[in-house]
Parts: sequence; C-alpha cells; structure tokens
Amino acid sequence: MNAQVQITDAQVRELSYAEAIREAMAIALESDPAVVLMGEDIGTYGGAFQVTGDLIDRFGPDRVMDTPISELGGAGVAVGAALTGLKPIFEFQFSDFAALAMEQIVNQAAKLRYMLGGEAEVPVVFRMPSGSGTGAAAQHSQSFEAWFGHVPGLKVVQPSTPAEAKGLLLAALADPDPVVIFEHKLLYKMKGPVPAGHYTTPIGKAAVVRKGEHVTIVASAIMVHRALEAAAKLAAEGIEAEVIDLRTVRPLDRETIIASVKKTGKLLCAYEGVRTLGVGAEISALVAESEAFDYLDAPIQRLGGAEAPIPYNPDLERAAVPQTPDIERVARQLAKGEV
Amino acid sequence: MPVEVIMPKVDMDMATGKLAVWHVAEGETVKKGAALFDIETDKAAMEVEAPATGRLHHILAAPGETVAVGKPVAFIYAEGEAVGTSPVAVEEPKVEAPAPAPVAAPVAVAAPAPAPAAVPDSADLRATPVARRLAREAGLALAAIAGTGPRGRIQRADVEAAVVRAKPALVAEAPVAPVATPAAPITWEPQPGDLNVTTRKGSGVPLVMIHGFAADSYGWRPLEDALPKDQALIRIDLPSHGRSPLKRVGGFAELAKLMVQVFDRVAEGPVHVLGHSLGGGLALALADIRPRQVRTLSLIAPAGLGPEIDGAALNGIARAASVDSLAPWLKRLTARPEGISHDFAKAAMLARLDPGLREAQQELGAVLFPDGVQAFDLTAALGRIAMPTLMIWGRDDHILPWRQALAAPGEVALHLLRGVGHVPQMEDPATVAALLGRHLRG
Repeated sequence: MNAQVQITDAQVRELSYAEAIREAMAIALESDPAVVLMGEDIGTYGGAFQVTGDLIDRFGPDRVMDTPISELGGAGVAVGAALTGLKPIFEFQFSDFAALAMEQIVNQAAKLRYMLGGEAEVPVVFRMPSGSGTGAAAQHSQSFEAWFGHVPGLKVVQPSTPAEAKGLLLAALADPDPVVIFEHKLLYKMKGPVPAGHYTTPIGKAAVVRKGEHVTIVASAIMVHRALEAAAKLAAEGIEAEVIDLRTVRPLDRETIIASVKKTGKLLCAYEGVRTLGVGAEISALVAESEAFDYLDAPIQRLGGAEAPIPYNPDLERAAVPQTPDIERVARQLAKGEV
Repeated sequence: MPVEVIMPKVDMDMATGKLAVWHVAEGETVKKGAALFDIETDKAAMEVEAPATGRLHHILAAPGETVAVGKPVAFIYAEGEAVGTSPVAVEEPKVEAPAPAPVAAPVAVAAPAPAPAAVPDSADLRATPVARRLAREAGLALAAIAGTGPRGRIQRADVEAAVVRAKPALVAEAPVAPVATPAAPITWEPQPGDLNVTTRKGSGVPLVMIHGFAADSYGWRPLEDALPKDQALIRIDLPSHGRSPLKRVGGFAELAKLMVQVFDRVAEGPVHVLGHSLGGGLALALADIRPRQVRTLSLIAPAGLGPEIDGAALNGIARAASVDSLAPWLKRLTARPEGISHDFAKAAMLARLDPGLREAQQELGAVLFPDGVQAFDLTAALGRIAMPTLMIWGRDDHILPWRQALAAPGEVALHLLRGVGHVPQMEDPATVAALLGRHLRG
C-alpha cells in the first residue's frame, strides 16, 4: 500500500509482511537465547505460509522446532516452556486450528499468572495465520480475534502492515503475558517500509492512519486497507473519513476511538470476524457508553462477517466479509446523514 | 428578564390546552397584543395574544402538544436582552387545596430559580445525541426544529441551522444598530436526506398519493376521511414541500427521477397511484416509467397536459410570507372562494413559515413553470400508459383549464365536476372518494 512512501531513512527497507515477521523472529533469536520457535512444519519446510523460511538454517533445530501434528500438545509444550523461563513463539498453521488448543491458551496460559498470585509469568507468543480470501474454505478462513479478546489474561493484536507486524511481534516478546497475534493471510505478501533493527509497536494503542472529520472508520488487519481505499474514493466526493487502525483487540484503545468519534459524530466498525458479538460490537458498546455518546449524530454502524461459515466458492467467499464498496457505501450514508 | 408566555385558562373547567399552531417562529419579533399562538380546547379554538413586545425564544410546546394551564410555552425577550438558556418556570402552577380557608388569596411565591433546566422535549421526538446536546446548550426546544434525517430525525445540521436562524436576534442586541433594518434576504441551502413518506396502515393494495405544487400531504386529509378507513395509504411529500428536505431540482425530469427513486423504495408490489396537479403530472410520469408497478392511475387536475397555467397564482402562493398575502391566492384554488376562511389560510401559512421552504418552492416554480407556462408535456406519456386510468377535473378550475383533460385518450375515465375548482379532493371529497373507490376496486 505504501509504494509511494518516500523512504529517506537508509535504515528503512521495503519488506513484505511475512519477511518483516521473519526479521522480528531473527532479531529475537539473535538477541535473546530464551527465544525459541515452535510449530508444525516451521523448520525444514519453512512454515505453512513460509514465514519462518530459512530460520532453521540460521539458528538450528534446537531453536526452531518442528512439533508433532497435535496443536494441543504443541501449545502445551510452549506454555510449559514459557512457565519455566523460555520465550516460545508458537505458530499455528491456521488460526482455525487454535480451536484444538483452547485448553492450553484459555485455561492455562491466560490464567496461570493470576492463579499463582503473580509468582509465575507465561511470556508465550501465539502466531495465528487468519482470515478469508484465499479459497481455503470454512475450516481454514476464520477470524477468531473476538474469541480470544474475550479472555482476561490474554493480549490480542492484529497487525495491518509489515512494520506493525514486526513491531507488534517484538512487543509481544517483551510482554510478560501470553500474546495472540492474528496475521492476516492475504497480507503476507504485501510490501511496506520496515525500519531495520529492534523496535516495538505498543500493544494497546491504535493508530489514526488517515485523518478526517466526517466519519470515523475503525478497522483492523485487511479491513484497514479496504477502509483506506474507501476513504480515498470518498475524498473525491468531499467526504473525509478518519481511519483508525485498531492494531490491538485486547486491551482496546478507548481513548483514540472516543476522541475520533467525538470529532466526527459518526462511527463505522469494519471487521472480518462474524458480525454478531464481534470486535465491532464491543467498540460500538464502548462508544455508546462513553462521553462520545453526546457527540453521536447517527446510529453506529457495523460491517462484519456474514452469519455463516466462510464459503469455498470465491464469489460467495468475497460476499461473506466486508469489501471496499461496502465500507464506502455505509461510510457515505453515515457522512450524508442518511442512516 | 424575559416575559413568560403561558397556557392560559380560557374555560372554567380547563386543566390543559392543546397548542394548535404558532403564528410566530423562534427568534422572530412579535408585538404585544398580536396573535401568538392558537389553542384548541374541547369546545373551541382560540387565538392567544402576545403578552409583550419582543422576540420569541425557547418555544417549549410544539403544535399538537397538550400543556397544563399556567405552564410556560415560550418566552418573549425585549430587544437587546441577552438570550440565555431556557429560563425556568418562574412559578409552578398552583394546586389549590380542596376547600381552602377563606383567608387572603395565597401570595404567589416566586420560587428561587435553580440551575437552568434543560428544555423539556416530547418523548417521541427523534433526535441524535449530538442534536439533543447542541439544542440543550443553545436553549432551543427540539420540538421547534424540523428534522431532515431518516424518519424525520433531527441531526446536528438541523440544530446548527436553527441556531443560525436564531442568530439575528443576538445580532440585534448590539446597541449600534437602533434602526430597524429590513430582514436580510435569506438564501436557502439544499438539505440532504430522502423525501418524507408517511403511511396509513390498512388492507389490500396501498394507494400512493402525490400532492401538488406548494401543497403537502396534509392536504389529503378530507379525502382520506372520505375513503374507506382500511384503505392503506402511502403519502409522499415533494422535495422542498411538507416535511421533505429542501432540494434544488433542475427540471421536471429530475423531479420525476426523485419520485421514481422514492417510489421504488416504498412500493413493495404493484400499487394504486393518485396525484393532484403537479403531483398528477408526476404520477403520470411514474406510471409511464414503472408501468408494471402501477395497478391503477388516478389523476386530479394533472399538470403537463397543456401550456396554460395560472402562473401568477402559483408564484403568489409560493412567495406569500403572511396570511394576508396568501389568502387571496388560495381563493383562486377553489370554485367557492368564500370557503377559504381566515383560519384555513392561517393553517396553510403555518406550513410555510420557513423562508427557506418558500424560496425553494419559488425556485422550483420558476423551473417548472417559467413565464407562467407549463414547461413539460406529458400528453405522449398519457397516450402510452395502459393501466386503468381515472381523471377528475373541476369545471371551475382557475389554475389548470379543464379542457386540458381532453388530451386524454378514450380509455381514460374522465369526470368533470361542476361547481368545483382546482382542488376537487378538498372541495368535494365525497364525490372524489366515491369515484376513486370504484376505480380502485376495478
């Protein structure tokens, strides 16, 4: 998306989202001996989406470990390793398969620091390739941010750019609590400027990626790009949409969202997860409960995934999640006071 | 201190009064003794005079609202007096204890004014949170603001416009301009939003009703009362008419397009369509464009069937800014001018108090009827349509000559009513309803 960004800093390169994640993992492996990578086929094969790539050649099988085809077993080993001092990055081949490991993520990793009175930490990172649009059908295309965002004890992030993917992964490693990273599969090949070296993108902080005064669009992951495309089209009509890249689902950045809605008076939440009880539902509620309520000039609108499994048919698959024209249409109606 | 305007007790046993209409809009000046608002009681309607000279602010009761006797309905500020947030009622209406001791009349004790109270608004108003907050802060009653949002919702822009309209009063406070200056010409701003649609629930195929130029959907009332009670109705207000937003329209074709858009939204299956005058022309255009959606067509003195039209009357109605300038033109509409009472003209004027609406209608009139000529010709459309069509015209129509009805092909059922003018649905609703009822039943 940022092809036209002027790169003046020699330390900033164009990397893909996958390359940026790989670079973050390499930096972590180099700088901290406690960091290990675990997951199915992440070693010799390089990962289901080639994100770990050649890291096994550079850091060896003791640091880059292939785990058996048991998500529950692998996640359990990662949680146990974190509890005893390592900082594992555990990759699921598809976020959908995290369903098999819920016990370890939700009942163990998220609870142990609390249940042990703060005597133990679980600094594990779960990487989850997520989202639809790849023709992978109902069991390989879901968006579970809201599921994990519902669990106190977890932190949940959704990077939308290569720079964020790297910064949020390094921030996750620095965090003493388990962090779940939803990496959107359609973004892996997207290129963007990425600063070299170690830096972190703060967890719990959203970013205003386009300023506007007529309507606020809160989006995450791939929806950020669709929102920006829609905003560019609307700008030609004189409608200035403010686009917020949510970045973190838990904890939500209330301040940034509320400040923006107080300015625009209109809110559209665009997210890929199923609309009902989704991330946008929570954002809608927090705005309605906040001081921004007195600034609302239209009903809050949500665009979310269809109340259906993700279809295999490509046309239906597209129709099942919000696309750029959907965001454009609803944002326009909001801005024009037609909702 | 502004003078409180209260709901007066005009009848021995009157506890509440229904506010019928305001004769003065928020922010406008009024002279002591001039008609300020009308009330309706069980027994009578009557005019209430302004208790003071000044500018009217903080209208607390909307037309149709019932207010307890003694309660404030607005405040009149002296010229130059600062308009703040709505003052609190100075005195609660006294509830007399049963059988009070025969002592000196109880002295009305002015309650110490607590913190300025929010302007009370009727519960069924639609307004966005920000509109409510801004109105509260500006001391404006939401009930006095027209909503242009979906389903008449009051949005931020509506309140901001109302604040701007209230501004001249504030400007006048400046002591530098003691000379009364004529009101600045108001240039109207187009508003966003869909045309206003209201419905009456009922059974069977609904009847879509499109009113004429400078009228609105309220004008269908007499006919509605004469139609079967279970006839479902869908009324559409033209742009810049009734409760529809003010819109700039380039010509008849654009107007017809707007109607088709709203028609497509409201008509779920084939419907009956009825139009009067300009609305008749639009109904005809609609039937031509959406033939399968229109089961029957009914035209009352439709526009577009000839060049002649009483341009002076249209222009006069559109621009009239007072009852006195409106009433003479209204008399042109009917075969029996004596039937146009002062009250009728007053009610008609109340629907036209918004100067923006009047300007928008004048502009629309100039576009559709330049130089007093109907600039659009629908005779070809009338020849094309195939659905059962009814045409009703008054033989004493002074606005559109009834002979234009002769443009209709032979299949059209033509009814020329004697002793009726341009508004048969008001002048003889029973006959029109009977003809219409027969037509709709097929």
